[in-house]
Amino acid sequence: MRSRREFLRLLPAAGFAAGALPFADLATAHAASLRKRGKACILLWMQGGPSQFETFSPLEGHAHGGGTKAIATAVPGMRFAEPWPRLAEVADRLAVIRSMTSKEGSHPRASYLLHTGYLPNPSARHPTLGSIVASQLAAQAGGEAGDLPPVVRIGGRGRGDSGAGLLGLQWNPFELRDATQSPANTEPAVPAERHRRRLDLMNRLGAGFAEALPREAADHAALYERATQMILSSDMTAFDVEAEPESVREEYGPGGFAAGCLLARRLVENGVPFVEVVSNGWDTHQDNFAKVAELAGQVDRPAAALIRDLDRRGLLDDTLVIWMGEFGRTPKVNPRGGRDHFPRSFNAMLAGGGVAGGAIVGKTDRAGTEVSERPVTVPDLFATFCASLGIDPAFENMASSGRPIKLVDGGEPIRELL
Amino acid sequence: MNPSSTHPTFASAAGIALVMVGAWSAPAAWAASIAPRACDDATFLRRAALDLVGRQPSPTEIEAFLADDTPGKRAALVDRLLDDPAWATNWARYFRDVILYRRSDDRAIAMAPAVEEFFKRHLEDRAAWDEIAQDVITATGLPSEHGETAIIIAQMGETADIAAEVARVFTGVQIQCAQCHDHFSDRWKREQFHEFAAFFPRIAIRRGPGEGIDRYEVASFDRDPRAGRGKRPENPRRGDLEHEMPDIDDPSLPGTVMEPRFFLDGGGVPLGTADRKRRAKAAALITADSNEWFARAIVNRIWTELIGDGFYPGIDDLGPDREPRSPEMLASLCRDFVASEHDLRGLFRAIMATPAYQSESRSRADASRLPGEVSCPQRLRADQLFSEVLAALGANEAMLAGRPQPQGRRNQFAGPRPLFNSVFGYDPGLPRDEIEGSIPQALLLMNGPQLARAFDGGRPVSPLGRLLRDHTDDRELADELHLRTLARHATDDEIAVCLSHVRETGDRTDAFEDIFWALVNSAEFIHRR
Repeated sequence: MRSRREFLRLLPAAGFAAGALPFADLATAHAASLRKRGKACILLWMQGGPSQFETFSPLEGHAHGGGTKAIATAVPGMRFAEPWPRLAEVADRLAVIRSMTSKEGSHPRASYLLHTGYLPNPSARHPTLGSIVASQLAAQAGGEAGDLPPVVRIGGRGRGDSGAGLLGLQWNPFELRDATQSPANTEPAVPAERHRRRLDLMNRLGAGFAEALPREAADHAALYERATQMILSSDMTAFDVEAEPESVREEYGPGGFAAGCLLARRLVENGVPFVEVVSNGWDTHQDNFAKVAELAGQVDRPAAALIRDLDRRGLLDDTLVIWMGEFGRTPKVNPRGGRDHFPRSFNAMLAGGGVAGGAIVGKTDRAGTEVSERPVTVPDLFATFCASLGIDPAFENMASSGRPIKLVDGGEPIRELL
Repeated sequence: MNPSSTHPTFASAAGIALVMVGAWSAPAAWAASIAPRACDDATFLRRAALDLVGRQPSPTEIEAFLADDTPGKRAALVDRLLDDPAWATNWARYFRDVILYRRSDDRAIAMAPAVEEFFKRHLEDRAAWDEIAQDVITATGLPSEHGETAIIIAQMGETADIAAEVARVFTGVQIQCAQCHDHFSDRWKREQFHEFAAFFPRIAIRRGPGEGIDRYEVASFDRDPRAGRGKRPENPRRGDLEHEMPDIDDPSLPGTVMEPRFFLDGGGVPLGTADRKRRAKAAALITADSNEWFARAIVNRIWTELIGDGFYPGIDDLGPDREPRSPEMLASLCRDFVASEHDLRGLFRAIMATPAYQSESRSRADASRLPGEVSCPQRLRADQLFSEVLAALGANEAMLAGRPQPQGRRNQFAGPRPLFNSVFGYDPGLPRDEIEGSIPQALLLMNGPQLARAFDGGRPVSPLGRLLRDHTDDRELADELHLRTLARHATDDEIAVCLSHVRETGDRTDAFEDIFWALVNSAEFIHRR
């Protein structure tokens, strides 16, 4: 049987003979191709808690600024810290939130909070943002899924953060340590034809089991079919960033994070609704300034390239790009030239997904210690993600305890950005 | 604590089978047509071996068990497997998962080996369940040496989270829903949660002397280090000697100081009680015979794991507001468990002697099945599956590892077993119907390069290569592969499918590689029926 995906690949050629296609098929194909270019979200996650002062909320003329210079951006009056020249060039497409505020200052708990919108609680397994987005967008699309996994996390350190939780394993992030290597075990051990023959043999030998336990057998067969569809899919080439033209790779620049950003674009282009790209090492308790400059060197260029690239391809309006970490850093520089954990005021940045560019939301006082205007809580931020992606934040999933859990617990979207 | 095998209540397994069957009456709703049939011997052997020692039986064990015609051989098998050190290892890994899957802090993963070691030692030493509970509730020390600190480290010393986990694991009551508001469906009030949490505020996690997980150490904390400084800490969660219930409208206000009190029987200690005394009291109240939920929680837990379906729908969501299924059976097991002074081996013996355990399994989705009365198929836990793969492939862990694992600070994730666990592991607290397969699981079994090496029949030293040489008869080899993987003989139909596959393929080695692959990837292989 020809898969929908194959059908779509044939579409451009078949377009010449559109008259020959029955109307219903045309309509289905059209809807599916729209879905393929449907809403998507890319999370650029700065693990460790990035300093707001050395990123997009520089504090000029105050001791707490730590002497970090600010530079002008494409938007008059919007200034970034010095190590971010490339994102400064695309600032007209960026919305910087300078008034994020939370109470959680421990890495795992804050990381969970910023991934799920909730504090950890042993009784409820809150789904991570990627699983929320993917499951909601899939439901909107009538449950139809592509060949590739719906949530991909690149460069995480395994087992960490959060998974699909109560949404079920189907929505678990597909973890990829390194964007330059193909994902684990996706290389078929034998040629496709023999792989199919083995599956067929597996099903025939499983007939007795299926007779006794039909539901278990059917779930198993469906899972193997999905996994097979994925590894034999021509969409798997999306994982191969080397296939990208040299000029594009050059634009994203060198390094693992750059490869991750490029892979994120390729996956979104191939219908994956959510990709998280992780940058590690932002926990700058010592030597904050040199470290942030180095990390910015890895993140600035690919992040800017990603936004331009999505824009050029007409994907930016439907793709929400988020830059954030679990909290900010202390205004006061510690004796080791570092900044410590500071959830009371920090920053985050959005682009695309219908979010107004060239915007600054909120501010802190002169010393950078307190949010002085337009505080944005984590639920507010999550409500904003939902609004951008057309997801109902009040949608309730059922925890195993039978207690309903809203996608977002309270919170108001940042209306001025939408 | 007690020599279980001679205990008067949980007597010999053969005897207990009669006791249990006698105590148990078939539900009136059972028409003859839907009453469970007893499973056959091969199914029982695989089930019992996977459940108790975490691996399938070997072809030799299978032949011996099938040939044995002594009455009571099933009970004798259970006895033998319960004395196997692998029983302690298998269940130590299970309890490691029970606690660590609910970690709020990923650093706790590094203490997995210590948690395993703690439970293994206690299970081997025939420690009673109340003894284990007391050790966990009153734990102090370095995580690597004191696996009993698992709940505290997994929740990184958070008072409320420790309270919630202690209640869940040892009483099966999910009282933490009452942390922020009165429980939505149960009787628990917010005050009751915080009174219970008040047993645990003096647990401190301080800087330990070591590296890795030993950068933390669990200690008691009975003197306010800020005394005299007159300043509340910036982080209000740390440093308070008494637990406060936060003001729900304004969490920045000081909360209400709570006196330690156990929600199930009202017992407690006064404010100011030292940490050790406080937690010892909590442990005593929880494990007291007067607290029926201590026995109910573990009986329901082990029943759910062995039968595949519990007295309560949630493995650890019990309590006075939930109706158990088969209440007489539950009450009888609890009574015997308490009378045996919380003997875990005895509990296993008793459950495994019931008609439910001995029955042919029925799908969870089967509507005619009476929940909790008949064995349900379960997906194997990651550790069971890994051991099963090793046995089926005739491989050991080092073979699958390929090359030596690099020594590094993330070493706890390295090695084939932890890798397998990261792909196949699941939280045992999940409702059984929420446990599903995943694509990475299928991919690992389908394409994992280490497994592919073992499937390779072309290499004479590979396990399959050897079998191909030893068995020249195709029918015999097909049967042998079924024995090794599914722990049963192949049926005539299955032999026929295999033989026709060999014929169609034309290449004997290729054909048997396919058959071996198909069996290891089958639904039957990853389930215990």
